[in-house]
Amino acid sequence: MTDISHSAPPRSRSVAQRILLGAWASLEMKIAVFVFAALAILTVVAPFIIDASATKITVGDRFLPPIFMEGGRYPYFLGTDQLGRDLLLRSLIGLRNAFAIGLVSVVIMFAIGCAIGIYSGYRGGWIDVILMRITDVQMSIPVVILAITILGMSRPNAFSVIAVLVLASWPIYARVARSVTLAERQQEYVRAAKILGASDLRIMALHIAPSILPSIAFVAVLDIARMMIFEAIFGFIGIGIQPPTPTFGTIISAGTQYLLNAWWITIVPGFLLALALTSLNLMGGVLERSRNLVLQGQF
Amino acid sequence: MASEPIVRVENLSVALDGAGSARPILTDIGFDVMPRAVLGIIGESGSGKTVLSNALVNWIHPPLRVTSGRVLYQGRDLLALPEADMARLRGREIAYIGSNPTIALDPTIPVGHQIVEKLREVKPGISREAARRRVIETLDAVRIPSAARRFDEYPFQFSGGMMQRAMIVDALVSNPKLLIADNITQPLDVTVAAQIIRLLRDLQREFETSIVFISTALGVVSDIADNVLVVNAGRIVERQPAVTLTAAPEHAYTRQLIAKVPRLWAAAETPEPTRSADVVLEVRDVERTYVVPDRTRLFGENCVRAVRGVSFDVRRGESFGLIGESGCGKSTLSRLLSSVEQPDKGSIKVEGRDIAGLKGKPLLEMRRRFQLLLQDPYNAIAAHASIGRTIEEPLRIHGLASGAALRSRVRDVMAEVGLSPDLYDRLPIGLSAGQRQRMNIARALILEPSLMILDETLSALDQVEQARLLALFETLQQRHGITYLYISHDLAMVRRVCARIGVMYLGRIVELDDNQTIFEAPRHPYTRTLLSSILTVEPKPFRPETYLLEGEPPDPIHIPGGCSFRTRCPFAFARCATDDPMLIADATGNGAACHLDPGQLPPPTPIPATTAGRAAPNA
Repeated sequence: MTDISHSAPPRSRSVAQRILLGAWASLEMKIAVFVFAALAILTVVAPFIIDASATKITVGDRFLPPIFMEGGRYPYFLGTDQLGRDLLLRSLIGLRNAFAIGLVSVVIMFAIGCAIGIYSGYRGGWIDVILMRITDVQMSIPVVILAITILGMSRPNAFSVIAVLVLASWPIYARVARSVTLAERQQEYVRAAKILGASDLRIMALHIAPSILPSIAFVAVLDIARMMIFEAIFGFIGIGIQPPTPTFGTIISAGTQYLLNAWWITIVPGFLLALALTSLNLMGGVLERSRNLVLQGQF
Repeated sequence: MASEPIVRVENLSVALDGAGSARPILTDIGFDVMPRAVLGIIGESGSGKTVLSNALVNWIHPPLRVTSGRVLYQGRDLLALPEADMARLRGREIAYIGSNPTIALDPTIPVGHQIVEKLREVKPGISREAARRRVIETLDAVRIPSAARRFDEYPFQFSGGMMQRAMIVDALVSNPKLLIADNITQPLDVTVAAQIIRLLRDLQREFETSIVFISTALGVVSDIADNVLVVNAGRIVERQPAVTLTAAPEHAYTRQLIAKVPRLWAAAETPEPTRSADVVLEVRDVERTYVVPDRTRLFGENCVRAVRGVSFDVRRGESFGLIGESGCGKSTLSRLLSSVEQPDKGSIKVEGRDIAGLKGKPLLEMRRRFQLLLQDPYNAIAAHASIGRTIEEPLRIHGLASGAALRSRVRDVMAEVGLSPDLYDRLPIGLSAGQRQRMNIARALILEPSLMILDETLSALDQVEQARLLALFETLQQRHGITYLYISHDLAMVRRVCARIGVMYLGRIVELDDNQTIFEAPRHPYTRTLLSSILTVEPKPFRPETYLLEGEPPDPIHIPGGCSFRTRCPFAFARCATDDPMLIADATGNGAACHLDPGQLPPPTPIPATTAGRAAPNA
């Protein structure tokens, strides 16, 4: 209370807040958030309110169609599979697992890839050459081959699936982060930080990273969807998380055998997956647009 | 004049459509451009000049809107013309050159080919061979050396001055009746700008083109134009022939503008001579050579000798100036002085301690003593951090303050440089160049340095903002005893603030003298060349006819043997080709690197005292 002029003014909205507010203003964002939230809530709540099991085999309830079709019955809202298990519950658990795997693997590959990329681009020289050749080697191995090699040799679980996804995709983040860093380190503000005496680590972490990571992060949101698809592919060819844990891949792959008389076994999980991916992609896109607008000073 | 005007602008008004209301940008503009005349339009940045130049070619797009008026070109209203007809006129009869030649040329197509393409578009009948010949002729006419070879080179192989000439060729090749030149000399060095102006004047006579010449620099406009319009806040406040405008301005605003043009000779404001003998910065024999790949050979390398043995002292509390054209090694020297790069040879002592080769913690501690302010106020500030956060950074780096103390220190500094502390949490987006430069100053000032290196810090700003910041620098100097090293190509600014000045040419200091000697009786021919090329509103003691030479400085890969200035020196003689003159300092540390004594150079033209003038006292 010594000097009135030094009392801090109310802090205005931060950049992140403005980006979120700007994104929320669009209808697409509202729809995407609504769909995604509905799926999330359903995933949590459904096991408690639906009187059926995702894993228990009930021979008498095999091949039941969704409840709105002839022959469908309660409590199997979206029908049952070839072993009489509830499809909605199985798909929701599959969705939960796929999303968790997608999110965790993207966070890890983003962190590792960008750290290596920024370091490589900022340092340059032989360090850069070596790191980038490593990414070249890694990127020349197809994901599925890598997955079959690693997952096929052991009993796959969530961790090994995540490990394969990270291993296969970090080089992309490293390359993108490096190329943006190369351009960014020429910027005058980096030189300004150097003149002020900032250490290399500080420049990388506090000056370059905040200016380049957001745009990569928005692409990463889209990548969650891509990883979910990979998880489904692994399940489909039998190298994903093993039964009895339901995954999109295993449900769909089993369903393809009954496509003509019990199409819902394939369509229901496929539809839920598509719904989740679309809402994720919408959110990623809208957020990126909003950020560009904020940085252009339009919000 | 009996003839009809080529362009007549009547009651032109342009507004900016904003949320709910329209803000007028141009109000009730009217003027005539006569055939073969040069009309100068002058105003500060933001006065609507560029909008006006765009309106002349019907290039007004939303949110800008023409609210009233006509632009009559040979009796036709351009603003009412359909876009297809307008497109035919543009480039064919009306040509436009902007201030940034680097973005006007396609980087992927050789310069000559771009101009040929345009010529053939404008004159479909012309054969490819004839078009090529005509373009090379015109390139020759604007004195691009070895035009036939340059014809096939890409824009990146052209220097800024050459690109601006290429743009002039591009504009003139179709023999337009009207040429609109919007601020074309702004990005150029003085010697090159002077060449371009002289060139434009010659071409205008040869091609019988009318020119609308728009600029912020009164000196340039009064040099080239027959008649001058003064624009302020979107209105024409005065129109006069150029010859009488500077002598007898009528409107108060014009008088203000004229008063703001810095004087270099008549009644020049000059700083006090340095009294202190305490040396803050001691630079000795500093050299820096870059090795770059030679693109004409597969494995060849070239040595770019950017700084070739520079020595000077800066004394406590003074303002020292380093001047020279682009490419003379100023920027390299600033990187060496700010310890972003290390010199190959020599020593740089700040307050007695050599910073060349200093690393880690000792260097970090020394960095608080000297700060560099960069030129580009846009790129030097990261877009993602708030204004306060950016100014905090040096305190955080040096661990000097935290928490509430940090915040209040930043607010103090913001207030000191004239930034409202309310801007603390705002992003820098939307700040003007001047405000951004203040942010830069605040960021350097917060470390309380004893030496500030100003590398073209003010050259991106208009004169008004420049004057305000110079005043700020002066206040800071008095209050904190800061020493300034100005690195600049702006001679007028250096004249006003620097007590001692070094003139650089091709990586060397060719003359080191006090302010008065440099501007009134310089000892090196190059200094005189620089002074002769200044475009100003006052008579100059050194005439371009005596000193100004064609051509640009040699590139620092192929530095001429002997005296490096001999290839452009009007007084070069046999000895200059063999002996490299050294700068021999006299007792005061001053001197020039030339074989000739000042007495052997032509004497300066005396300045008539009567035409001198600050604005009339009753202004």
